[in-house]
Amino acid sequence: MTDIAAAHPTDPFDPAAINAAEGLDPVDPAFTHVLRVTALLNMVPLAIGLSVADRLLMPAIDGPYGLVTTLAWLVAAAVVLVFPSRRAQRWGFKIGEGQLRVARGWLFRTDTIVPFVRVQHIDVGQGPIERWFGLSHLIVHTSGTHNSTVTLPGLPADLAAAMRETIRRHIQTDFA
Amino acid sequence: MTDGAVPLPVVDAGADEPAWQRLHAATLALAVVKLGPRSLNFLPALAAIGIAGRWAYVVPALLVFLLVSLVFAWAAWLRFRFHVGTDEVVIESGVFARQHRTIPFDRIQDVSIEQGLVARALGIAKVGFETGAGGKENDASLDSIALDAAQALRTTIRTHRSVPAVPTVSGSAPDAPVEATEDRLLFAMGPRRLFVAGLFNFSLAALAVFGAAMQFFDDLLPFDFNIFDPRDWIDIAEDYGLDAWVAAHRWVAGMGAALSLIFIGFASGVVTMVFANWGFRLTREPRALRRTRGLTTRTDVAIPVRRVQAAIVMTGWFRRRFGWHELRLQSLASDGGKEADHQVVPFGQYDEIDPVLAEIAIRRPGEQAEWQRSHGIIALGGLAGAVFAAVGGIIALALGQPLGWLAFAAVPLIAAGAIVGARTHRWTDLGDQLAIRRGIWKPRVTLLPFASIQSVDLRTDFVQRPLGLASLAFGVPGGSALSAHEIPAIPAETAQALRARILAAGGRA
Repeated sequence: MTDIAAAHPTDPFDPAAINAAEGLDPVDPAFTHVLRVTALLNMVPLAIGLSVADRLLMPAIDGPYGLVTTLAWLVAAAVVLVFPSRRAQRWGFKIGEGQLRVARGWLFRTDTIVPFVRVQHIDVGQGPIERWFGLSHLIVHTSGTHNSTVTLPGLPADLAAAMRETIRRHIQTDFA
Repeated sequence: MTDGAVPLPVVDAGADEPAWQRLHAATLALAVVKLGPRSLNFLPALAAIGIAGRWAYVVPALLVFLLVSLVFAWAAWLRFRFHVGTDEVVIESGVFARQHRTIPFDRIQDVSIEQGLVARALGIAKVGFETGAGGKENDASLDSIALDAAQALRTTIRTHRSVPAVPTVSGSAPDAPVEATEDRLLFAMGPRRLFVAGLFNFSLAALAVFGAAMQFFDDLLPFDFNIFDPRDWIDIAEDYGLDAWVAAHRWVAGMGAALSLIFIGFASGVVTMVFANWGFRLTREPRALRRTRGLTTRTDVAIPVRRVQAAIVMTGWFRRRFGWHELRLQSLASDGGKEADHQVVPFGQYDEIDPVLAEIAIRRPGEQAEWQRSHGIIALGGLAGAVFAAVGGIIALALGQPLGWLAFAAVPLIAAGAIVGARTHRWTDLGDQLAIRRGIWKPRVTLLPFASIQSVDLRTDFVQRPLGLASLAFGVPGGSALSAHEIPAIPAETAQALRARILAAGGRA
């Protein structure tokens, strides 16, 4: 990826530097591929649809045929080729002492901490694309209305299972 | 549970067949009443028959519909049975698909008793079991049984739950007067207080509804008089020979319209307050706060003290000057499905609210508390809205639409609201709980114990990051997802330190 090659370790906008500065572990690099395939599956039908619309609509209204088609495929290419690696690297997590920390995003960055004792139950999920790359996602449920589920994608399947076991040992009920 | 004082057919341990009970027979009468609104669904079918020109079939079709509905109601009643065991409630329901549900007393967090107008006349009540299973449909209810049986059932379950706390509760008949002497009264509202509260409840919203209704029914009303219309006031003056005087003093007609507007605003406030909160009583029971209220629909709700997550003190910009406040509690259970939070003091002074807060071990920040402000940048959203309004106004004017001036008039209002509103966002750390204050039109203070916080989000974005700011959002059980507890735009270091303190306290709990 060109944008990774260009990124310098001291660049404050380098996503890897954000994670390192905040003491977070990166998710598995293969998560980039998961995001890319998902983006591909979303963008290609969209671009095809826009191309067809362009073909049918523009001659009818004497518009510039080809402009929308070109733009659609350029945007689709950017979304599929450039964004996934950046998005994947801005996910970070840390299994701390009695708490799970999950951070995501850069433009709008959210850094969530869930203490293990507050976890109600845990899911480890795997979609077909994730299975292809040997990844799983971990979903932690709390009883809070806001943030009732915290999802951490892009974990190797064995690590996700190990994290589930770690958290499960801490789950306890505080109900009367 | 073997105390014979509870007049409820408690099952013998040795009995082979448990003593099944049915719902009160008057429930069928209730079903007939409920049929009225439900038959509205049948109206399109009737209309279709009518349009087809077969008017003769309308009445038979309606009768068949009513008969079938009644048969179904009767079958459902016949196939619904429940029994109260020594430590569980078993409910069997369903006409064709049978459902068998067992609810252990230990898992019942809250037993609510609700009576509508018809149910009160029939002396029956709906009993709801709140199990905290999440979702209204997951909670069982008995709709409906006799009121005294409902109260006895609740006493049975409560006594079972509070055995460690209160060893001897038996020997008292579980009727309301005796309970009232047992439980401490925390707050009650008399007619006078209701009236004052209703006056402060002055509602322009109700007025708008009323105005719309007047417009809508204008042609249907037997008298041709719209109190919002000054012309009608001139007409009425003519009837009394005052037309010359009114014509000379046109403002009188305007005054009449304005006065009746104000009167309706006050009257609707008083009426809604009286209907909702008639006979309001908040009592302290061994484990719960219990609230009874309502004029036509009486509700009786228990809020287990341990399940209270946060307290919210609300007021209005005007009533605040007179020291009137409202206290709501955020609990795991929601209040009757409509409100997210339990209203425990609808209208009271601080010296009435503080004892209630003391019962749930939450305190208000004192007068000398140091409130910290959120950064003014949170006004940015509102200011952006103002800019959009200005741009929209310019575009509208450019297109020759004079309504664009309206957008321009809104710009300073939106901007001022955003800036003043941003200045009211404050918070303070009380050591084991947070107090978050916001709002200018309806100021509210959220009192959030660290122990109720399930997760903490620290958020920054491209606007806050260059300013070194961060927002904190807290995951708290109960309440509505729309009103998350949040401290927006505080210095990032402060936010991180606060998060560390909260999580450390949560770990101890």
